[in-house]
Amino acid sequence: MNDQPNIRVLLVDDEETLLEYLSKRLLKQRFTVKSTFSGEEAVEAAKEEHYDVAVVDLKMPGIDGVETQRRLREIQPFLQCIVLTGYASVDTALESGQLEAFQYLSKPVDYDNLVAVIKDAYKKRMEIQGSKFKEQVEEIYRAGLGKRGMRKAIGELHKIYGVE
Amino acid sequence: MESNSSLLAELKKLTRDLASHKIELEQARGYLRCILQNSTELIFATDAEGVVVSFSKGGEKVLGYAFEKVVGRPVKTLAQDPESFGPVIDTCQQEGCALALEVPFRHKEGKTVYCNVSLMDLTNREGQRVGTVGICQDITRRKKLQEDLIQVDRLAEIGRIAAGVAHEINNPLAVINEASGWAGEVVSDARGLNSDDRKELEESIEKISAHTRRCSNITHKLLDFARESAPTKREFDIHEVLKETIDFLTPELKHTSIEIDFNFAGGPLSVNSDPRLLEQVFVNFITNAIHAVLEKGGGERRIEIRTIKTNSEAEISVKDNGVGIPEEAQAKIFDLFYTTKPPGKGTGLGLSICQNIVRKLEGDISFESKAGVGSTFTVRIPIS
Repeated sequence: MNDQPNIRVLLVDDEETLLEYLSKRLLKQRFTVKSTFSGEEAVEAAKEEHYDVAVVDLKMPGIDGVETQRRLREIQPFLQCIVLTGYASVDTALESGQLEAFQYLSKPVDYDNLVAVIKDAYKKRMEIQGSKFKEQVEEIYRAGLGKRGMRKAIGELHKIYGVE
Repeated sequence: MESNSSLLAELKKLTRDLASHKIELEQARGYLRCILQNSTELIFATDAEGVVVSFSKGGEKVLGYAFEKVVGRPVKTLAQDPESFGPVIDTCQQEGCALALEVPFRHKEGKTVYCNVSLMDLTNREGQRVGTVGICQDITRRKKLQEDLIQVDRLAEIGRIAAGVAHEINNPLAVINEASGWAGEVVSDARGLNSDDRKELEESIEKISAHTRRCSNITHKLLDFARESAPTKREFDIHEVLKETIDFLTPELKHTSIEIDFNFAGGPLSVNSDPRLLEQVFVNFITNAIHAVLEKGGGERRIEIRTIKTNSEAEISVKDNGVGIPEEAQAKIFDLFYTTKPPGKGTGLGLSICQNIVRKLEGDISFESKAGVGSTFTVRIPIS
């Protein structure tokens, strides 16, 4: 358990009791967890802080899971979204490819499976982010900016990627 | 002499007339025979007592009986319920004719044939009743089609309602699932619990989890059932899908000593259909067969998977030598939620889903079964 990286998980579901228990269990396993109860709230949270993985319910009042995950990724392009659906099979919205989710899971989810999928999603996030970050840093060097310009650019990158 | 010759002339004229009448009569008779031979409808004639004296070729087709087997029988015994057919004949006797719709007749093989019946009294020159002529139009197919349409509508409606309910239930189920999971963790961390209490709690929590899974199994199957997506058809080999299905079921077959015989039509059996949906049907058929042979217990356990190719159809059947389906259950096996398995073992959805799928693929599903001997389930789908 000790070698587990600090995975920051954003939970989005209007079923508050579900998130109450889910967050308790995830916290106990040393995840960093933020519970939000609507798509709007999740989008606000994503503006404040960086997350690695979002677990988003598909059907919510207000903006639904499809729209929520689209907006979340606008703010944090590397965020991986796991979408929970009450339907057994992937819905029309998902079938039509509107949604670029990391994975769909049907409710009620098997907890151990959810944890495994969160870890996989985190791994994927780190891979994509790592290679993209390296690419962009190299580009900054190649661009031949001055010292100050470079520091500023790298500062920008830190902000985008949410890494220290 | 003269009277003799006029008599002779008279006789000659009569003979001529008779000959021409005979020709006319023969023509009329030929015409009638032609109608009786040619019509697809069941046409019969009875004597005054209601005993069949004539029975058309169409009638032989409709009811499956040969002419000789019907002639001499009271006509009302052809009906599924002779007592209710009697009054129709009585009406005809009183009114000269009678009409009855959707009268159930009994086919030689036991199935019911529905006919619209039109009866007319036959009288002789003196106006006496000498019998009845009946024309029966077989409307079984039309009636079945109508019923199927109603059934499809009704199922779609049930499906929509059930899907709505299932979807709503999945949310509280998810809460129960997480809450019981959490409770399990709390118990396993708790100190100061005596071992009996701990065991009680752990067992109860495990029961809650298991039954939550059982509920979600039902809701998910229902949602599958109600999903109204059009099949995605492509060209594929049914034999491949069948082999994949068996691979998929290998865990179920382990340690069962069930022997699976493949009896495939030669070469690939290509169809243009939806392999994913068909696989679902095969999984259901074979799983049911496995359960049927296991339930029977000892003896040789055998499942045969056979494919046949005709000009326009592919036929796939799964035959087992398991417990079979008791006769009283046979009419209900495709009903939603009907199951013969003990509570918690079957959802009663499998075959309903299969039927739904096969209808979507414009195919046909049927079965034969005998309690204690085994069952054969067959699906036929169009090749293209």
